Amino acid sequence: MIKTLKGSVMRHKLILVLMACAAASGARAGTWNGVYTDAQAERGSVQFQQHCARCHGANLAGTFETPPLVGRFMPYWSGATLDTLFDYIATAMPLGSPGSLSRAANADILAFILKANNFPAGAKELSGDSEELKAIRFDAVRPPPETAPKPSRKKNAKRK
Amino acid sequence: MDRRYLLKNSLALGGLVGLGGCATPPRAPAAKAAPNVPIEDRVPPLAPIRAHTDRLFDIKVCIRPFRTKGPNLDVEQIGDAMVLHNYGHGGSGWSLSWGSANMAVQKAMSASPKQIAVIGCGIIGLTSAITAQRAGAQVTIYARELLPRTRSVRANGSWTPDSRISLAAEAPANFGATWEEMARMSWKTLRSYLGLPGNPVTFTDHYRLSDTPFGQPVPPDPSIPPLPPPTWAGAPTQESDFGTYADRIGDLTPKSQVLTDDNNPFPVKHVSRTTQMFFNFTEYGQLLMSNFYAAGGKIVMRDFHTPGELADLPEKVIINCPGYAAHDWWKDKAMVPVRGQTGWLIPQPEVNYAMTYRNVQILSKSDGIMVIALEHGDLKGYNDSDESVRRAESERAVRVIEELYSRFPSVPA
Repeated sequence: MIKTLKGSVMRHKLILVLMACAAASGARAGTWNGVYTDAQAERGSVQFQQHCARCHGANLAGTFETPPLVGRFMPYWSGATLDTLFDYIATAMPLGSPGSLSRAANADILAFILKANNFPAGAKELSGDSEELKAIRFDAVRPPPETAPKPSRKKNAKRK
Repeated sequence: MDRRYLLKNSLALGGLVGLGGCATPPRAPAAKAAPNVPIEDRVPPLAPIRAHTDRLFDIKVCIRPFRTKGPNLDVEQIGDAMVLHNYGHGGSGWSLSWGSANMAVQKAMSASPKQIAVIGCGIIGLTSAITAQRAGAQVTIYARELLPRTRSVRANGSWTPDSRISLAAEAPANFGATWEEMARMSWKTLRSYLGLPGNPVTFTDHYRLSDTPFGQPVPPDPSIPPLPPPTWAGAPTQESDFGTYADRIGDLTPKSQVLTDDNNPFPVKHVSRTTQMFFNFTEYGQLLMSNFYAAGGKIVMRDFHTPGELADLPEKVIINCPGYAAHDWWKDKAMVPVRGQTGWLIPQPEVNYAMTYRNVQILSKSDGIMVIALEHGDLKGYNDSDESVRRAESERAVRVIEELYSRFPSVPA
């Protein structure tokens, strides 16, 4: 247990370091950095209603049998890079005719799903390119802004 | 209406009168059995099924986790974790679960683990987890869905141990022996679930009705569209392409018995009867979940996306029971989706039988009367991963049964 916790803490530290490096280099480090555009999500919405809503519901809430694409969708898919989710959509979906949509259409749909999960839009469209997607972390929680001052220990202690 | 039905009708009336003010609904009449039908073989009064399309209160669609080579029971090393596969049981998962779990757990225990992880909480995952607990391990199930929301619960749920379990040409040469071991172990284990409150596992008589003599080809039904030809080489084109192994355990189940005219309560010429085991999903599922928790089992809700993620689990012995998800998660090319749909009429506890007629199967369960369209046999739904409901199919099946009951004599109120 101790070993696991220690590993977990170390992983988190590593993630923070990697995120800081990516931000410093100007790379789109994570899904909170505006990795799609509103126009793209709009296109994705049309595709979603056409190909996905039949099972996942127009509001992405899923059904008794079909998984939702909001809510618990976050713990299920976050923590990896975005190519993992994209590859699943591109190869396994739509369930009745898997792999039938173009990479561009799947990128649009993914943009729509990100928007539905309250990730902010940005200035550049989400690409369907595996390498580019691999550079984007799917973070469930917005990482703290780089410029934000570190809360002092004293303040924390006071809260307790 | 011929004299036979009138006779039956009068028998039914007699039965009703005898029941007095009891709330039991009217029953279809028992046949007037001739003295040469042994008393124990006479068909008892059968309650009619209220087969009307507006009583279809649920329609469930699943994808059977069919694997052309038969279930994957291989052992694989992922990082420092030993992964024991237990998936790909086609239409036989409920039946083979305990036997398959036993095989997986035996291999797992060879490493003497204190903790075991089980991936998936369908019937294969749950029975694997309980079997591992009974072997002495602490078990955590990692699953993205739990019973009753897994695909398992959208199945038929009957003792069908060799229903779409392999393609004969692709299964390993020794698979028949493996299958038999699984089936016999399951059968023995299932005995301990018989006779419990709510009948989690139980038996029922199954009547097969035919307009033509048994053994003769049934004329095609023009209302059923033909099956589109298979789109790739190696796909099954006839039912005999699937592996069949039931003969190996023929000693476990009763033979089919053709009913003589004087022992046939149905308005159909040819009827046979057998007795089959089936599973009541609600009672059986809840019982297994309770058993798992009671033995200290833990559940973690989690979805896996790459095999490598298993290496991150604290447990280093992992029984992998993802069902059809192995198709995409494990990129198992031998996995083929086989679509199945069941319609559910409102439960009628007084109906205690199953029936097959004109490509429709009916099975009365505690949580509803299951209606399945069987046309095209085992080829139906092959390589079809569309899990959306096709209501027309279930309604057509209900109408077949509705029409059958319309031919019974009416019973006055």
